[in-house]
Amino acid sequence: MVAYQHPSGLNPLQRFRQAGAILRGTSRAANPAWYLNALELDLQLHLRVDGNRADSWLFDRRTHAWTAGPVLDEACALDATLIPAFAEEVLAAARKAGAPAIGLILHLADEFATSELKPELDNPGALTELRTQIENDPKAVLDDSSVTAADNSWRLVPYPAAGSEAIATTMCVSRRWAAFLDELRRYGEEKNFPIVTRAVSAPLLCLLALPDLKLDAVNRPLIAILPYPRFTLLAFFNEYGDLRLLRTLQHRGQRRPTNLRHATSTTAAALELADPEIFLFHIGDSADPQLAADVQVVFPATSIHEVDWQNTRFAEPAMGTNFPELLVAAHLATPAETPLAAAHTFAVFRSEGWASQDLLPIPRESAELYPGRGEMKLLHLAKFARVGFAAVAALALVWVMMGMIAMVRQPEWAFNAENSQIGKQRLAMVTSERTRIEHWDNLLEDRSKAWASMELLSSLFPPKSGVLTKTFSHSIRTQSAPAQAKTGFVKEWKITGLAREETMERLALMSTREGISAIFNEVASNTGNQAYRTDVGSRSVVVNVRTLENSGFKPAPSEEMLDLDETTYPFSFDLTITQRFESSDPMAVKASKAP
Amino acid sequence: MFYRQSIIIFGFALPAVVCAAVVGGGIFLKGKATTSFQEKQAMYKASEANSIGSQSIEKEISKKREHVEHWNTQMGRETANAIASALKEIGDRLPPKEFQQTAVEYPNGASGFATASAQPSSQVKLSFRATYRSMQRAFIELETLMPQLQLQELKIDPSASSTSTMNFSVTYTAWQK
Repeated sequence: MVAYQHPSGLNPLQRFRQAGAILRGTSRAANPAWYLNALELDLQLHLRVDGNRADSWLFDRRTHAWTAGPVLDEACALDATLIPAFAEEVLAAARKAGAPAIGLILHLADEFATSELKPELDNPGALTELRTQIENDPKAVLDDSSVTAADNSWRLVPYPAAGSEAIATTMCVSRRWAAFLDELRRYGEEKNFPIVTRAVSAPLLCLLALPDLKLDAVNRPLIAILPYPRFTLLAFFNEYGDLRLLRTLQHRGQRRPTNLRHATSTTAAALELADPEIFLFHIGDSADPQLAADVQVVFPATSIHEVDWQNTRFAEPAMGTNFPELLVAAHLATPAETPLAAAHTFAVFRSEGWASQDLLPIPRESAELYPGRGEMKLLHLAKFARVGFAAVAALALVWVMMGMIAMVRQPEWAFNAENSQIGKQRLAMVTSERTRIEHWDNLLEDRSKAWASMELLSSLFPPKSGVLTKTFSHSIRTQSAPAQAKTGFVKEWKITGLAREETMERLALMSTREGISAIFNEVASNTGNQAYRTDVGSRSVVVNVRTLENSGFKPAPSEEMLDLDETTYPFSFDLTITQRFESSDPMAVKASKAP
Repeated sequence: MFYRQSIIIFGFALPAVVCAAVVGGGIFLKGKATTSFQEKQAMYKASEANSIGSQSIEKEISKKREHVEHWNTQMGRETANAIASALKEIGDRLPPKEFQQTAVEYPNGASGFATASAQPSSQVKLSFRATYRSMQRAFIELETLMPQLQLQELKIDPSASSTSTMNFSVTYTAWQK
């Protein structure tokens, strides 16, 4: 078995590692029985020691069956070497019963002593605090300063009755069975099988049987007499069924205490319990048959109820002998349905566990060695959380890797700035070349060609058209436009000559927009020179014709008229054609120098 | 409850931090890779666009390269020499009676198209005595051989000595490189 260290001596990482080792090495995470009360487990081994005999009974909550348990030798309390063999038998019995755990309840019926609380602590509101304090530091609570916590175990027993002189008393048992229970627990831990122990006070637990015995309404004080082989416990209840006092009478070698009669009557008188109802318990097989008669002496008018367990739920034929404490413990969760069961005392003794207090609990240091139930659950959860986190991390990495692979597989991934630069340079180069070509394309446009102008003249006045051209001049001037990328220009044709009668109509037609446009478009069509197109919005053509009579004209028959004879032309004319190209025209001249 | 804090720290907090670090690191790395990839994508797209643009422009200009070479050759020569050479070539193909160059002049200063553009240019003024059609043919050939010539001015006057020929005076702006 791994020797675990107390966590207070470990650093946080060591604590976590120890907790992990406990999680892996024990069934504490999987088996909740490790953290349950022994009385809550399905299989319970009830051991009862009263000083005369030791009894062992197995109780299976699943079947409500009682069977004889492993035989307990009272010497186990003193001789630790006997314990492993007994523990092995306990374990074997549990395994035989198919239980995942066993609760071992030790009923201490061989001792019961009471002590008074310090008077200054007599505060009902501090009961819970005192209950904890007496377990850890009994000296601070008890009126007796000579007590030693090492040898004895104290527990508080409240007096819930209104008007009680004290809020509680204390009960004390020795720790002689503590090593026995420790060893059983240790054995269970070694075998990784929960052996959950609990040491209870048999007389205190037995008191819980009283509501099952007192069936009618409570209207008188009650006295319960619980005779055990070594002592007799007297419990005094008021007329409401609430506990007022516990008193123990030691037998000191007798079958019954010599002062029982006197003590009972004087205590009842002191508590002003008039005409009490007396219940005499028969426990085990060592009861004194003269006990009832002895008490009857001081309570002649009172009928003493000698308890007959056979008519109650606390009789178990299999046991043969009456051990009501064992059955009370087994039926602790089920209260009686009698008026007395509703009394405050019995309600809180049951619900708050006063009657079933663990007198020899697992030492705090040993309990702290292992993670608590919540911590084990947390640790168990952490295992899944780690898997979850690892899964999330793995998924994230897969996601990243998938993303990376998807990116790397793209042709863009292998692309670098150098490739980009080459493409850019190439584009810049061809763009520059195109710009240069466009620039020269523009500069070298057929915007102004001499042969085309001569073709225009031929189109204006075809041969034998009755015109004698005398002068022809054509000039170009540009239209300066600062800060513009292109410059528009104006082409002007000036023609003077002589015309015959039949030509005047052509000149008139020529002076119209449609007429001159038709001629220009004809030239454009014949020469392929786009400068003569008039269907471009950024161009305009204006014609100005002036005709005069020819002063040298001499009429003659038509057959005598020579083309070069100026006297045969009745009219002279002066024709000016102006074609304007705006700066937005495709043929406008680029103002910049070629790149 | 000695173990609770350790379990929370080493069972939950530390794995969570490690997981967060791994996830965060992964996200960071992927973010960096994505950023780099997006940059590359942008470069790639730009390069593709550049390539397509280059190819388109290349297709466009390849048709003109032949002409450009001719233009460069023409404009690489001195204007006067080029014109003289061209006119001699033209004159050799035309009857002398129908085409005679009577004058050539290279005026200084800029006028006409030369004033509209920052492109270097020179002026050339030519005079001819020729028949109308021969002159027109000569002009076609000259202006075809020398596309850098932009007509600035053209005057046609009757010849005093002949009825079949005329006097032509033409001024060109010749673009230069």
